[in-house]
Amino acid sequence: MATQIPSLDDPQVLVQTPATIYDAIPPYAPRTEREAEFYTLRDGEMLVNMGPQHPSTHGVLRLVVKIEGERVVDIDPVLGYLHRGIEKLAENADYHHAICYTDPLEYVSSLFNELAPVMAFEQLLDLRVPRRAEYIRVLACELNRIASHALFMGWMALDLGGLTPILYSFIERDEIVEMLAALTGQRMLFNYMRIGGVNGDLNHEFLSRLGDWMGHALRQVEANTTLLNENEIFLKRTRGLGRLDRRTALSLGLSGPNIRACGVPYDVRRAHPYSVYPELEFAIPTREEGDSYARYLLRVDEIKQSIHIIDQLIHQMPDGPVMANVPRRITPRPGRAWAAIESPRGQYGCYAISDGTDQPYRFRIHDPSFVNLQAVVPLMPGNLLADTMAVMASLDPVMGGVDK
Amino acid sequence: MRQRHDQTEIRIAAGATVDVLRTLHDDPAFRFEVLADLAGVDTGDSMQVVYHLWSETTPDWLRVIVVDLDREDPRVPSTTFLWKGAEWMEREAYDMFGIIFEGNRDLRRVYMPPDYTSFPLRKDFFLADDASRSPAQGVRHMEQVHAPAESLAPIRRSRAR
Repeated sequence: MATQIPSLDDPQVLVQTPATIYDAIPPYAPRTEREAEFYTLRDGEMLVNMGPQHPSTHGVLRLVVKIEGERVVDIDPVLGYLHRGIEKLAENADYHHAICYTDPLEYVSSLFNELAPVMAFEQLLDLRVPRRAEYIRVLACELNRIASHALFMGWMALDLGGLTPILYSFIERDEIVEMLAALTGQRMLFNYMRIGGVNGDLNHEFLSRLGDWMGHALRQVEANTTLLNENEIFLKRTRGLGRLDRRTALSLGLSGPNIRACGVPYDVRRAHPYSVYPELEFAIPTREEGDSYARYLLRVDEIKQSIHIIDQLIHQMPDGPVMANVPRRITPRPGRAWAAIESPRGQYGCYAISDGTDQPYRFRIHDPSFVNLQAVVPLMPGNLLADTMAVMASLDPVMGGVDK
Repeated sequence: MRQRHDQTEIRIAAGATVDVLRTLHDDPAFRFEVLADLAGVDTGDSMQVVYHLWSETTPDWLRVIVVDLDREDPRVPSTTFLWKGAEWMEREAYDMFGIIFEGNRDLRRVYMPPDYTSFPLRKDFFLADDASRSPAQGVRHMEQVHAPAESLAPIRRSRAR
């Protein structure tokens, strides 16, 4: 007798799906007060699962949304789908090695991910960085900030259903990415910062590309924003939506453009100047409205400020070495260091503890997207379900950073 | 109180956390309104919780370290009543170190799956493919209990107190 192989086409075969974490209602009793409150449904309410593979969750984020009709009642973000344990990996690598692990954290602004740990390690070593290296670092970072903000503009429009702006913002981003590729050798995960300086000096290709780009950068930003700034659909779906006030924003610990759009002028470049920022002249744009539209406009203003900063950097660029004398194997004295920088998403921090060996004893990354994403919980209730993504996009979280 | 670079460090006991942080946050002389970071640290024989604060009254970062938490049952009062945004960072510290923040309304795991049992960033949690350990120690499964067997290498003790 031939063995029967159960077929999925056979209606008699029951496919048993085990209860998984994908179930909207968890298959276990609620463990916390908040979970009990969220997963108790009242009359007329239902749970909708968005993600983790939803196209507009900017990576792999799962949102469990409690809705009543079309209105969102509550929201529960579920993280961890992109968790790679980078902190643990870095604690098992030596200091030079740890830097390249941080690249894929916030993958649209990788240079900032490298800068914070490098600055923390330099503190541990009491190392002075050559001035030219500091200038190159800031120059590369500001370029990366523009690339990141340009991508944000396209992404936000895409989440609202507009396809065109992302094509334009990719033109902008591509020019910068090519420029950085000429400088660092990589397009996305640069691995450019080194303890004590940078990997390579400015080269001819980078400078010529930079010169070309500086000629039309501002004009291009203006052109891109005309697509969106007065677009009726864009305005209807951003203005007045996702409004945060000053107190809530401070209490939520938001940073970057999200908090400056609420009227708090907190920018680490000013609040706690690092590198060569004290020598540069730039404004910290703020807005009072605190809604999605203000957050969008604020990033446009920041692009203009960054172009202004780059202009000064090129003109003030000093001569000299780009790397301090740093041995291959470094063993800092036991101690603790904290370095914070202003990344395109907010305050990006690195906390490193040395125990005298060649590996960091504790390597902690504070990622702004992780904190900013918390704001979706108080922001959503009362909004339409279709606006969830629009509001979330305006906070600009990058899941690589959120999930570490 | 210690001072190095642009950081001022104070160390407090778990019982004083609420009073110290509330004073730093509310007192008009301090006004540490920005919670820059909340991190857990495993020193090998005790747990620590580290807060980084920023205030417009001083150019320095303030580092508040809650020291000497019991490694078996680390407990600290939650600071979510001052900074709502501390909630997820406390969840992360709980997820990675098993530190319990009393008063946090939502102390679930944030990265690891809900049925996960160990705390990955503790120093006695070894990576399965940790090349820095000798092959003679064998490969330990990631999900093994976090207390190491006697035969295995001792926890990497910190000299950074």
